[in-house]
Amino acid sequence: MSSTVSETTQEHAHADDGKFHLFVQIAMILAVITGVEIVLIYLPIVKWLVVSMLVLLSLVKFLLVIFWFMHLKFDKLFCTILFFIGLVLAGGTVAALLAIFSPHDSVPLSAQAIYAERAAAAK
Amino acid sequence: MATATLKSANYTAPHATKPASRPWFFTRPAAKTGLVSWLTTVDHKKIGLLYGVTALFFFLVGGVEALMIRVQLAVPNNTFISHQVYNELFTMHATTMIFLAVMPLSAAFFNYMMPLQIGARDVAFPRLNGFAFWVFLVGAIVLNVGWFTRAGAPDVGWFGYAPLTSVAYSSQFAGDSSTDLWVMGLQILGVSSVIGSLNFIVTIINMRAPGLTMMRLPVFTWMTLFTAFLIILSFPAITIALVELMMDRSFGTSFFEVARGGMPILWQHLFWIFGHPEVYILILPAMGIISEILPTFSRKPLFGYPIVVFSGAVIGFLGFGVWSHHMFTTGLGTMATAAFSLATMAIAVPTGVKIFNWVGTLWGGQISTRTPMMFALGFIWMFMMGGFSGVMHSAAPADAQQQDSYFVVAHFHYVLIGGSIFALLGGIHFWFPLVFGRIVSEFWGKLSFWIIFVGFNVTFFPMHFLGLNGMPRRTAVYDGNMGWNSGNLTATIGAFILAIGIGTYFTVIVYTYLKGKKATGDIWDARTLEWSVPTTPPPEHNFHITPTVHARDAYWYEKTHAKEIAAEKAKHAQDEESHGGIHMPSQSWFPILTATGLLIGGLFFTHHHFLGAIAGGCAMLLGIIGWAFEGPGGYHLHIAKDGTVTGGEGQDEAHH
Amino acid sequence: MSAHAGTIDHHHDHTTTTGIPNKKLFMWAFLASDCMFFGALISTHVIYRLHPTPEGADPTKLFSIELTSFSTFILLMSSLLMALAVGASQKGKVEATRKMLLGTIFFGLIFLGCQVYEFTHFVHKGLTLKSDMFGSTFYTLTGTHGVHVAIGVLWLVLMYIRTFKPTDAGKAWVTRAVVQFMAFAVAVVSIMFVMLAVTHAGAEHGYTLSSVVHALQHDAITSGAALAFAVSTVLLFTLGRSTWAVDFGEANAIDVEGMGLYWHFVDIVWIVIFTVVYLLEYL
Repeated sequence: MSSTVSETTQEHAHADDGKFHLFVQIAMILAVITGVEIVLIYLPIVKWLVVSMLVLLSLVKFLLVIFWFMHLKFDKLFCTILFFIGLVLAGGTVAALLAIFSPHDSVPLSAQAIYAERAAAAK
Repeated sequence: MATATLKSANYTAPHATKPASRPWFFTRPAAKTGLVSWLTTVDHKKIGLLYGVTALFFFLVGGVEALMIRVQLAVPNNTFISHQVYNELFTMHATTMIFLAVMPLSAAFFNYMMPLQIGARDVAFPRLNGFAFWVFLVGAIVLNVGWFTRAGAPDVGWFGYAPLTSVAYSSQFAGDSSTDLWVMGLQILGVSSVIGSLNFIVTIINMRAPGLTMMRLPVFTWMTLFTAFLIILSFPAITIALVELMMDRSFGTSFFEVARGGMPILWQHLFWIFGHPEVYILILPAMGIISEILPTFSRKPLFGYPIVVFSGAVIGFLGFGVWSHHMFTTGLGTMATAAFSLATMAIAVPTGVKIFNWVGTLWGGQISTRTPMMFALGFIWMFMMGGFSGVMHSAAPADAQQQDSYFVVAHFHYVLIGGSIFALLGGIHFWFPLVFGRIVSEFWGKLSFWIIFVGFNVTFFPMHFLGLNGMPRRTAVYDGNMGWNSGNLTATIGAFILAIGIGTYFTVIVYTYLKGKKATGDIWDARTLEWSVPTTPPPEHNFHITPTVHARDAYWYEKTHAKEIAAEKAKHAQDEESHGGIHMPSQSWFPILTATGLLIGGLFFTHHHFLGAIAGGCAMLLGIIGWAFEGPGGYHLHIAKDGTVTGGEGQDEAHH
Repeated sequence: MSAHAGTIDHHHDHTTTTGIPNKKLFMWAFLASDCMFFGALISTHVIYRLHPTPEGADPTKLFSIELTSFSTFILLMSSLLMALAVGASQKGKVEATRKMLLGTIFFGLIFLGCQVYEFTHFVHKGLTLKSDMFGSTFYTLTGTHGVHVAIGVLWLVLMYIRTFKPTDAGKAWVTRAVVQFMAFAVAVVSIMFVMLAVTHAGAEHGYTLSSVVHALQHDAITSGAALAFAVSTVLLFTLGRSTWAVDFGEANAIDVEGMGLYWHFVDIVWIVIFTVVYLLEYL
């Protein structure tokens, strides 16, 4: 992730013009990642891999924006803690809700037996 | 009328520059007494009083609603009120008590005490603080408007389960907006709570007096902080649930419409993701108050301070992971049920830890059983009992019997009345001398406590048995052959005893306010900074000199190291004066004006008059713009060595 | 305390206990809360996508991934401009701040325009709030995000106008500010009408200069809107030129930064929505 953002660029991140270039670089990275995401969904690879990669790429974009554009990396740590409390709680709640509402839950118990029979018959 | 003489203004200071031709609507009100001073106040103490008085009024309203419920249930097959009115009463009793009584009463204490406890002169955003109160009042109005309309008050239960709240069930006649009023009222109250909490978080983190590290904070301030976090993180869930319900009712979406793919159980989940943290929002401030009262009246520091603070944090955090224990009987599945059951049992641990620490505080102390202490001791015992029935609920198989029965009603009234209300009523007695400079008579205070205590237990203890014997909640009548007759009659008698107790309490408080014995200064020999103010009631600027904190129980340290503190104060006496004096926030009309826009918009929206809603929204926007463009303002006060205060709104020199 | 007395340290506020400015802390706490808000809304959408109704709409047939990618790119670029606006305000560069704010507003409006276009297109195809579950969740989720963007644009416009406040502000300034605001409002509303007419004409007769001109002359409303747009844009341009000393500088950077935090947050929510609502449907 930090291959284009070298050590010296980070140090100069607070020099006047360094910041401008840094922001533009990050914006370009974000645009490229978005392009990659779009291409990715049309590639003929396994679904779980695509989903994982999409999640990873979104995470990278997310972190780039919050740590650089929103300046969290250079601010006092408490700001990061404060935001991550909300983020982690939200993430946990979403995960819990999705686990509770997983798709096979909507299949009634009586239907599960029928589907199992059909699957066995189809083999 | 402010008349600042302005010299040339070529600087760009954050303070508002006041040119000779500043428009009239940006002039800050300066009244310190009278109606205008209350309508435009930004003083945290006045705002606390506004919250307190409003909350106590609605507490009485909620109490009357409860009494009517108890009269209806006193005997089997009663016809005191219709079933429709009964539904409105239990809905409004709960909604009123939770959102319009306990929460704002807690907010009253947050507002009044917390800035004093951290040695600050006000909160971080004073106008926003005032706005939070006026929005609360708007929410209270919207919720209760239904009583005066044909549609009636909301009648869907305080938890508004879908699909009962859908359009299909509220169209007995055109124009039934009772559920819409409930939805809008709660949304508005949510806005008030979140805004107030954001303000408190910033204040506690950022405006502490010098030397006041987080681990020296009074426990009440810690609980304020945790409650504020709970509010800002839990209210979004109910906001979304209400938005989805509103979309269903007003725009025909199908979030909770089964026929078109909706799942009403989603409402329950979203509601309780809010609802469970909400009950910790109701109890944490009370725990904070108790943690101030017990040390004061045991003349001992709080036992195990770090662990009490840490337990508060753990309770807050775990509180987000237990919501489905309100849904054990909805068919969650084995895994989910087990997980939530375990988490709920886990939460009993930090709560128990706190109780042990409170007992540890009492142990070996010089106990003084004044009225506040009676409420605190009552709290420990009653809250424990409520906790026991709560732990019984946490076992899902047992809960299968208890759910939706009077056992639950017993549980939550023990924790909410025996817990929250006892602490809040005790807090009023405790801080009364500070806020009003008068002290409530011991005899009458204790008498009101005992009548409340007896009445409360007579009302709610039988409900444990009623519940286990099968009496369901939320039913307007019961048959005489169920074996519930004596329990209900006892509970009703208890309710009236409780009412007499509350009535006594209120009469005593009002009498004391008007004519009670004066009691100035540190009447209880207390431990925390709010008692170190120069006068009781405190002056508008709180402290003449911002305190420097050296230890926990900062005021106790000040009293036991008097010489050191006096020298320090003399050294800091001119600190603020050298910066131009004590900086005070200016009053403003915009908070109440903006809130009025919200009231107009909200009421129009609930009746589906979208043009009027937009008009109200525009009024709000104008209020916000005016607020932003009027600027922070501010003026300076100057304290002379003998304590006389000079300066005021509009009396500043042009620049420093 | 005059601003002349030394430059402001934008990383440390010595008047607060932690050194973090109050407004910044407030905004971060609010954003933590907003995470839960969007979390609940996104959960609802995903839950209902996991339990689709048999006759529900197929999003992949409706989505135009090109349009949504374009609007995503636009929003990302607006984030860049916002970051640059914050940087400019922290250096007290008023002109640069104005330009960057204007750029952010412009890109934000383009994003909103794309959303409006997308919604209109979907409604034409039969997807409404009431038509099926996907309509309910999709419009509510992306609509709520759009409202957040709109509020952000409104805030940006007000901040832009604020940068014109003269150091000796009086009644004249208030009038000027009101006129500038109304000009923005008229420009936005009129361009919407114009774009709608142009896209309808383009969809029917193809996108050529003559069809566009024809669309503009088609009816009184569109012509009026085109005229209003021209007038308000000229007005904004004129009002945007100012050479007087303004009461806006480094001391106001904290307000721009707070706004920037909000705007960036709305952007990262869109990053999540783009992936979860749009991209995942294609799998």
